[in-house]
Amino acid sequence: MTGLDPLRLTVLAAAGWCLAALVFQAVRAYRFGTHDVHSASAGAPLKGIAYAFGPGMMPWGKESAARHLPTYLTGIGYHLSVFLVLAYLATVIFGIVPPENWRVPLTAVFAAGAVGGTGLLVKRAVKPVLRSISCPDDFASNALVDLLLVTAAASLWIPAADAALLGTAAVLLLYIPLGKIRHCFFFFYSRILFGIFFGRRGVLPPRPRETQP
Amino acid sequence: MTAESAKDILEERLARLTPADIRKAVDTFRAALGHQGAADLNACVHCGLCADTCHYALTSDEPENPPAYKVNLVMAVFKRYFTRLGRIVPGWVGARELDETLTREWVDVLFGRCSLCGRCNLNCSVGLNITALITAARAALTAIGLIPPELQSTITTAHTTGNNMGIAQDDWVETVQWLEEELRAETGDPTARMPLDLHGARMLYTVNPREPKFFPLSLLAAGKVFYAAGESWTLATDYYDVTNYGLYSGEAPVAGELSDRLVRTMERLGCQELILGECGHGFNANRWEAPEWLSKRYPFRVRSVLELMAEYIRAGRLTLDPSKNTERVTLHDPCNLVRLGGVVEEQRYILHRAVSDFTEMTPNREKNFCCGGGGGQLSMTRYAQRRLQAGRIKADQITATAARIVATPCHNCVDQLSELNKEYKLGVAIKTLCEIVADALVLPAP
Repeated sequence: MTGLDPLRLTVLAAAGWCLAALVFQAVRAYRFGTHDVHSASAGAPLKGIAYAFGPGMMPWGKESAARHLPTYLTGIGYHLSVFLVLAYLATVIFGIVPPENWRVPLTAVFAAGAVGGTGLLVKRAVKPVLRSISCPDDFASNALVDLLLVTAAASLWIPAADAALLGTAAVLLLYIPLGKIRHCFFFFYSRILFGIFFGRRGVLPPRPRETQP
Repeated sequence: MTAESAKDILEERLARLTPADIRKAVDTFRAALGHQGAADLNACVHCGLCADTCHYALTSDEPENPPAYKVNLVMAVFKRYFTRLGRIVPGWVGARELDETLTREWVDVLFGRCSLCGRCNLNCSVGLNITALITAARAALTAIGLIPPELQSTITTAHTTGNNMGIAQDDWVETVQWLEEELRAETGDPTARMPLDLHGARMLYTVNPREPKFFPLSLLAAGKVFYAAGESWTLATDYYDVTNYGLYSGEAPVAGELSDRLVRTMERLGCQELILGECGHGFNANRWEAPEWLSKRYPFRVRSVLELMAEYIRAGRLTLDPSKNTERVTLHDPCNLVRLGGVVEEQRYILHRAVSDFTEMTPNREKNFCCGGGGGQLSMTRYAQRRLQAGRIKADQITATAARIVATPCHNCVDQLSELNKEYKLGVAIKTLCEIVADALVLPAP
C-alpha cells in the first residue's frame, strides 16, 4: 500500500462524481414519465429479461451480431478488457500488487482491448454509414478508453506509468456521465426494459415451434 | 388528395413554423418518450449494426435509411433540449435545434422511411425500442400539424365516420345482410347468421373495413368459421373497425379514443371477449397499446381471431381437410401481430392443419422481414416508390419458397403483398388465414 496520494484521491473523487452523476441521470430519465401497465401479460417478463441478457445477446439470437461477427467479437473483447482494467485500476489505487504471473496475461488482454478499440475507432472514421452518425464525442469516448487500456498495460511494467493510468482514469471517470460512455449504465436500464417488453408480449424467449402434426 | 397537393400542404405548414410550435413539439416529444425513451437515448452507442436488419437500408444505399441514422435524428433533439453537454457544446455531442431544416428531415425520414416494424429493436446491440423513439418523434410532428396529410386523412375519417374507409352505416349493414344470405346458401342452413348487434353474444368480432369495402369474401370466410364452430358471436352496427392509425401518428389521445369505441361497444352489447380480425397493427393497438392509452385494465379478454381458430381446432370444434388446399402455401408474419404482438405459433398450427403443403419463409416468426406496408406507409402515397423498393426483400423471400399462395393474417399486408405481386411479378395469390381455413372446412350437416 503506497497510501492515497492526491492523484489517487482524485481518481476516487472522480469515481464518486461518476456514480452520483449516473444516478442523477437515471432519476432524470425516470422523471420523463412512467405509468402502470394495464394490458394483460401474455408471457413472462422475467424470462424476457433473462433472455435479453443471455441468448438474446448471442449471434444466433441477434442477426446484427451474426452478420457482423468480427465487430461483435471485437466489441465483446473490448468491453471485457475494460471491465478487467477497472479491476486493475482498483488494485493500483489501493496499492495491491497483482501476482507476478498475471502480468503477461493482463498485458495481453489490455493490449488486445486497445487494439480492438482502435480498430472500432478506425472503422467509425472510415465507414460512411458510421461516420454519418458520429460526433466528436463518439471518437473522444473511444480514444479515452483506448488510452486507459494502453496506460494500464504500461503500468504493469513501468511503475512510473501508474501516474498516467491514474490521470487518464480520472479524466475518463469525470467524462463518463457527460458523453456516450454513460451507456455503461443505461445499457442495463434499456436491456431490462427490452426484456420486459418482449417477455410480457410473449415474443421472447421464443416459444416451442409448431411443426407438422 | 394527390401526393403533390399533400406535399404542398406540408411545405406551407413548414414555412409557417413558429417558436411556439417548436416548443409544443419538444414538449410533446418529451411526454411521448417517457422514461424508456429517455433511457434508450442515453444508451445508444451509434454502433450502426442495426443497418443490415432494416428492409429500407437493405434495398437502398441512401444514407437516411439505416435505423441508426433515424435514431440519430431523434437523439440530436433529445441531446439539445434535455442534456447538459448538448445545451453547452451541441456540436461535440451531435445535438441539434429542432428548426425548420431538421423538422423537414424528421418528416421525410421518420414518416417516409420507416414502417415501424420493430426489426431493428430486436437486433439493436443495446435493445433500444427504436419503434417507440420514432413514434415519439412522429407524435411531436403530429402535434404541430406536420403529419403527412394522407395519413391524417385516414385518422380523421375513422374519427368522424367510425371506420377508416368512411363506409356509411347503411352500406355496412346491407353488406353484412348480403353476406348472411351467401352464408346460408353456402352452408345450406337457412338459420346460419352473420349477426349484427346481438346482445349477450359471447364475442364481438371486429374487422378491417377493407373487408366490407373490397374483400367481403374475407368476412364471409370468418362467418363460415364461426358458424362451423358453433360460436356465439356478433358484429356491431356502429364500431366494428379494428384498425387504429393513431398508432402510427403517435397521437395517444386520438388513438385511445378510437380504441375506446370498441370498449364501449363491448359494454353496450354485453360481450365477454373482443376478437380482433386479421389486422396486424389493429392487434397491436387494441391488444397491447390501448389499455395504456386509456389507462385502464380491460374487464374482458382480447384475442386475435388466429388464437380463437387455433383453439377451435384444438378443441375439435372445426374439422379441416388439408387436401382441399393442395397448392404450396407460405406465411408472411405481420410485424405488429408477431414481433410486436406475440401471436407467433397459432397461425402455423392452423396452416399445418388446413393446407397440405406449407413452407416457411427464411427468416420467419419474430425475425421475419416487414413487407413494407406498415407504419402508415400504405396511406402515405408520396412514399409509395420507397415502399415498393423496400418490399423487394419480402418479394425475394416469397420467390425463394416457390409457393403459389401467400397467407397473411393482416389486410395491410395483403395490400402491400398484392402490390409487390404486381411489381415483382411473383405470380402468387394472397389470402388471409380465415379464407384458407374456410376453404378447408368440412361443414357439419345443417
